[in-house]
Amino acid sequence: MLEVSGLTVDYVLDRGNVRAVDDVSFTVGRGEFLGIVGESGCGKSTLLFAVAQLLAPPAAVAAGTVTFEGTNLVGLTDEQLSAMRWRDMSLVMQSAMNALNPVTSIGAQFKDAMRAHGKFTGEEIAARSAEVLTMVGIDPVHLRSYPHQLSGGMRQRSMIAMAMLFTPDLIIMDEPTSALDVVAQRSLMVQIKELQLEFGFAVIFVTHDMSLISHFSDRLMVMYAGQVAEFGATKSIFDRPLHPYTKGLLEAFPSIRGPRVPLKGIPGNPPDLSRVPSGCRFRPRCPYAIDKCAELTPELYPLDGDLVRCLRRADGSLAS
Amino acid sequence: MTDDLPRTQLLKAEHLTRHFKIGGTLSRRTLHAVDDVSFAIGEREIVALAGESGSGKSTIARMLAQVYKPTSGEVFFEGKPLSSMTSRQEKLRYSGLVPMVFQDPFSSINPVFRVQHGVLRCLKLHRPSLSAAQRLEEAARVFEVVGLNPDMLQRFPYELSGGQRQRVGFAQALAMRPKLILADEPVSMLDVSIRIGLLNLMAKLRDEEGASILYITHDIASARYVADRLIVMYAGHIAETGPIEDVLSHPRHPYTQLLLSAVPDPRAPLSVAAETDRGEPPRVIDPAPGCLFRWRCPLAIDTCAQVTPVLAELRPAAPAGGSGGVVPPGKHLAACHVAQTSPEEVKAFS
Repeated sequence: MLEVSGLTVDYVLDRGNVRAVDDVSFTVGRGEFLGIVGESGCGKSTLLFAVAQLLAPPAAVAAGTVTFEGTNLVGLTDEQLSAMRWRDMSLVMQSAMNALNPVTSIGAQFKDAMRAHGKFTGEEIAARSAEVLTMVGIDPVHLRSYPHQLSGGMRQRSMIAMAMLFTPDLIIMDEPTSALDVVAQRSLMVQIKELQLEFGFAVIFVTHDMSLISHFSDRLMVMYAGQVAEFGATKSIFDRPLHPYTKGLLEAFPSIRGPRVPLKGIPGNPPDLSRVPSGCRFRPRCPYAIDKCAELTPELYPLDGDLVRCLRRADGSLAS
Repeated sequence: MTDDLPRTQLLKAEHLTRHFKIGGTLSRRTLHAVDDVSFAIGEREIVALAGESGSGKSTIARMLAQVYKPTSGEVFFEGKPLSSMTSRQEKLRYSGLVPMVFQDPFSSINPVFRVQHGVLRCLKLHRPSLSAAQRLEEAARVFEVVGLNPDMLQRFPYELSGGQRQRVGFAQALAMRPKLILADEPVSMLDVSIRIGLLNLMAKLRDEEGASILYITHDIASARYVADRLIVMYAGHIAETGPIEDVLSHPRHPYTQLLLSAVPDPRAPLSVAAETDRGEPPRVIDPAPGCLFRWRCPLAIDTCAQVTPVLAELRPAAPAGGSGGVVPPGKHLAACHVAQTSPEEVKAFS
């Protein structure tokens, strides 16, 4: 349904171009749940914006295509995109506090979205708005409520309701739960999954918290410094991470169960994308790096059904 | 209701309460941010204060830092009530001994000065006996303790990463030779891969520098990683407190159980308990008596709607494995009618 191929995004700055997303390819099938994880500055949000064609200068797609239901979105005009946006593909932003308009009611914002993308009577709009709000478990009386009258969890739910107004085929979510408490977060994740099973839309879910999506996503893409570091089935990545970065990320989480073990985290800091290291970008922080890693630039190598960008995994010198 | 710890008690809060008036001038509504909270912090220990947003965690920290005056109740530091510290000198001494580290390392350091500015100012203000050369020496020492190269003193904040900035925050606190560091969500803005480094630093400050830390967090897993004791807050009250392993392995308050069941853990199967709970925050504006968790609690009984539960020691649950010989320091307390009256552990959520 969605095919992203060789997508590259540059930020065009005075001091030169900064490549925030470098040659990323993936596909999303109908009804699939794709998780994208990475640290801040790894390009995951830029990638989402490129897929949704919402990039604003200085960011621009430098190469690659985004094919959604047979149409290449790259290079389409706003008018052409508008016909597709919200009807076929919608977006749930990170912070509902900022994404909802604080001075109009939830119902008015639903009406806006429906009027912008189709012709409906007032009754149709009211009926559909009440329907989607009920789907996410909010009483339709809240259509008259303003965002500040709702809790953080309810605001985030109404954002998801809004994204479902036209029953799109794809909903892109950028850290929708990061402002919520653990209890509200878990409840929202379960609900997203239930709605997905019921209505069959595909989800691209971006987060920095790997453990959050471990039970929900079908496939997982781990990004590091603008590139895909590892891509594969969620379960196999959690059971047997191939890339040293993924392994480090998984080991950086303390657990609430089992013995208390000292953890080390990943030493160093993510690289500045305007000055990426030679060879493998993770090399300066990698405990397994050898001389070869500085000389050769790794590609994505297929290994046991997954893709991994690690030279030592590819040549078998690093056993799991 | 305070713990009698084997360690020397450093700070004690008794019946600490903070209310805020809300609405216009004619409004009589009061928000109960913190209600009748008592706890103690010993020397060389990390106490984690956990709870959802709006549960009163930061309000407690601000009262301890003397940013807010308590509506009622008192805080004792080394046996001396804070309200009796009225002179500038006493207040200065206290704020040096109990510094705060903030959540956001991007806005808590002045961006127009080199990072040494903050550290040197703290030293000049709180340790006036040091000469200029000694201040520089001391700044370099605290930078090394927190894992920063002393060369970094000359850098500007924008040249530092988030993790490094948060280390600067701890270095500033450390320069004052603190007894207790109030750390309000010090790692929540940092990337997962560098959080652990900061948590390890907190443990090091306790073990090597002898500082106690009040670690405010909503992340139970990180609390378990560094803390000795845990205080779980709900709607301005302490729901449960005790040695952290005790509380986490035998959570007695239903809210603690709910909180633990919702922590995402890839190593455990998906828990279904939290599904029915929406995580809606409680009403703390002019609350009526009764347990504030009762609307969300599957165990609620009639008493819960009438009497506000107080923190009380629990009868020890049957020790797992039957050894039972080791009594951990600090008592395990919960504010729950059901947990206090049932002889056995009751699970509301698992």
